Amino acid sequence: MRVFTVLLLVLLVLVVAGPAVAGPLDMPGASQALVCSACHGFAGESRSNTMPILAGIAPWYFKKAIQDYAAGKRTSPEMEPYAKMVLQSGVDDIAAYFAAQARTASPVKLDPAAVERGRAAAVQCTLCHGVSGKGDPAKGVPDLTGQPPGYLRSQMLLFKADRRSPGDEQLKAVKALMRTIPDEQLADLAAYWSSVR
Amino acid sequence: MKESTRREFLRASSWAGLGLLGAGCAPKVSDFAQKPGRRVVVIGGGWGGATAAKYVRLADPSIEVVLLEPTREFVSCPFSNLVLSGQRTIENLTFNYDGLRARGVRVLHETATMIEPDARRVRVGTDALPYDRLIVSPGVEFQWDQVEGLAAAQDRVLHAWKAGPQTVELARQLQAMPDGGVFVLTIPPAAYRCPPGPYERTCQVAWYLKTNKPKAKLIVLDANPNIISKTGLFRAAWANYPNIEYRGSNKVVKVDPGAREVTTELGDKVKYDVLNLIPPQRAGTIAVTADLVGADKRWCEVNHLTYESVKHKNIHVIGDSTIGLPVPKSGNIANAMGKICAVAVTRLLNDKPVPTMAPGNTCYSWVSDREAIAVVNSYKIEAGKVVQIEQKLTPGQSEAWAQNAIGWANSIWQDMLG
Ligand SMILES: Cc1cc2nc3c(=O)[nH]c(=O)nc-3n(C[C@H](O)[C@H](O)[C@H](O)COP(=O)(O)OP(=O)(O)OC[C@H]3O[C@@H](n4cnc5c(N)ncnc54)[C@H](O)[C@@H]3O)c2cc1C
Ligand code: HEC
Ligand code: HEC
Repeated sequence: MRVFTVLLLVLLVLVVAGPAVAGPLDMPGASQALVCSACHGFAGESRSNTMPILAGIAPWYFKKAIQDYAAGKRTSPEMEPYAKMVLQSGVDDIAAYFAAQARTASPVKLDPAAVERGRAAAVQCTLCHGVSGKGDPAKGVPDLTGQPPGYLRSQMLLFKADRRSPGDEQLKAVKALMRTIPDEQLADLAAYWSSVR
Repeated sequence: MKESTRREFLRASSWAGLGLLGAGCAPKVSDFAQKPGRRVVVIGGGWGGATAAKYVRLADPSIEVVLLEPTREFVSCPFSNLVLSGQRTIENLTFNYDGLRARGVRVLHETATMIEPDARRVRVGTDALPYDRLIVSPGVEFQWDQVEGLAAAQDRVLHAWKAGPQTVELARQLQAMPDGGVFVLTIPPAAYRCPPGPYERTCQVAWYLKTNKPKAKLIVLDANPNIISKTGLFRAAWANYPNIEYRGSNKVVKVDPGAREVTTELGDKVKYDVLNLIPPQRAGTIAVTADLVGADKRWCEVNHLTYESVKHKNIHVIGDSTIGLPVPKSGNIANAMGKICAVAVTRLLNDKPVPTMAPGNTCYSWVSDREAIAVVNSYKIEAGKVVQIEQKLTPGQSEAWAQNAIGWANSIWQDMLG
């Protein structure tokens, strides 16, 4: 009897709500995120090497990144104007939209030898990013897995040169670590974390 | 770990398209004489139209979408200046419409010949397609009559301003030009398609000549008083090309292909070995014949939230054909308008409120074989109008921006056609 009621309810919801409910553009943030797909791909599923994947991004980290770009802490001529736009058009809705998208790892081809070399060096990262690489919101550490290798490498180089959020106390440790790593090994680390699922 | 342009992204989807359709059942215009359900017709499968067609299907797959586009393949204008310098091939910038077909867009390789706003029909010759809403994205048409001698010499004087055979022919002429020869590039008065495009082309031709024909010269005759986009960045880039002779406020009014000579408004005559004359422009012809253009008879005014024409109800205009928004005529803007218009159209057809959506723009320009610059604009809606929030330029030129340009191109091609 109970099963029957539930089934009826489900049917009712389906009929009342109609087929449009589950559409890929129906979340409130979707219409505000339309401009992002020109670079980040539809639903934030970037397939390119330089543009980061936004699908599945944690809302806390998304919002921090947007604020850092808008404030010029993370300098990016592309992102600064768009970050200001996001702050005006509803950062919470847009964060919720990207968080709800399924992440597919970057399709950029990786050199298996580089991945293996990176795996060995990656123990240095796990203290903060976790063994899984999925990050830790409590420490303000983001997910690295499946991101395009070109993007990961460029961000590590920015840390190394203190050009991402220069002078930020919270990031002293990660930047100090990056300075100890030669550039070729940064590419290996990028390949490894890109390969992790 | 550098990125190459990966046509594989789009090819992958094309196989899915073939699988779904099967062979030999290409639709015909007459198949659409009746309208069984709700239908959106899109005129033009370029940057605006292809995007709009795809996004209407994404937003509401119960709406039938018919796309009219005479050319069988899409050729990207963005990056086509690199064909002139030999950094890309045209094949590398050519994509098919199978991705749209796989999304259920009915693609007809036909030219719309007339619009009947009252009957809500588009005519293709004697056939007619009824619509509920029409999206028009026909790009630009050239004003041949603005330059004396041009109309009669259309086939010999290259514009290469619609990527395709002309781009390839201009590259061939550039390669065949003798060392010590003169290449003349003429720029029309604003507004025209892609404000930084002619200056990017200047860089690519100058780079090619500097590398391959060091005694040759490039004369740029600009109808505008100065470089109209990314001025400082282009000036800095040109410092590496002493072979450029730039002349502002030099509007070309006459061409004589027999004498290989152009004449400016001031009466100066300039001889050339190779000529690239970019003619003045207006909205695509169908927008003019359908009375969608304003008093200037050149461009179309639209509602900034829905892109509905201010002249005809149920007809929306996007892309280069529009005017009145503080945005450049760029592929990136056409793509943004296509998405916004598609969402607006589906909401209107479903009697739902249209969300407030603003476009965004990024124009990368290649200044050498490996370095690029960029300008980025973001916008908001204020009192029903598009208003700029901010414009930002790259601080200089670099290989990193060029890599981002490739990332942008791969993403946006996929966003339109994948
Ligand atoms: C050399 C060059 C470089 C450029 N570089 C950049 C760049 O780096 N970034 C950028 O953002 N933009 C760039 N642009 C600009 C960009 O190409 C245009 O802004 C963009 O193509 C506009 O899109 P649209 O949909 O309005 O027109 P188009 O893309 O031109 O599409 C119009 C389509 O409509 C079709 N059509 C016309 N009439 C009809 C009809 N009656 N029936 C059916 N179909 C019809 C045409 O065949 C065409 O395919 C560049 C342009 C050039 C020329
Ligand atoms: C013109 C291309 C372009 C557009 C359009 C664009 N971005 Fe970006 N985005 C970039 C680039 C490039 C980066 C990396 C910048 C850097 O070096 O930090 C980036 C980075 C980001 C990041 C940081 C990701 C991370 O892992 O730290 C977020 C978040 C982001 N973008 C959100 C957005 C949103 C939301 C939009 C739409 C409103 C948008 N972007 C539109 C190019 C773009
Ligand atoms: C001491 C802690 C710590 C260690 C160790 C650490 N990181 Fe991080 N990492 C961070 C923090 C915190 C951030 C977020 C920075 C921000 O908010 O701007 C970050 C961000 C990143 C980013 C940018 C991600 C993005 O989406 O933009 C990359 C790439 C990265 N780390 C790679 C690594 C690699 C590789 C290692 C190991 C070699 C490593 N990190 C070790 C703390 C650490």
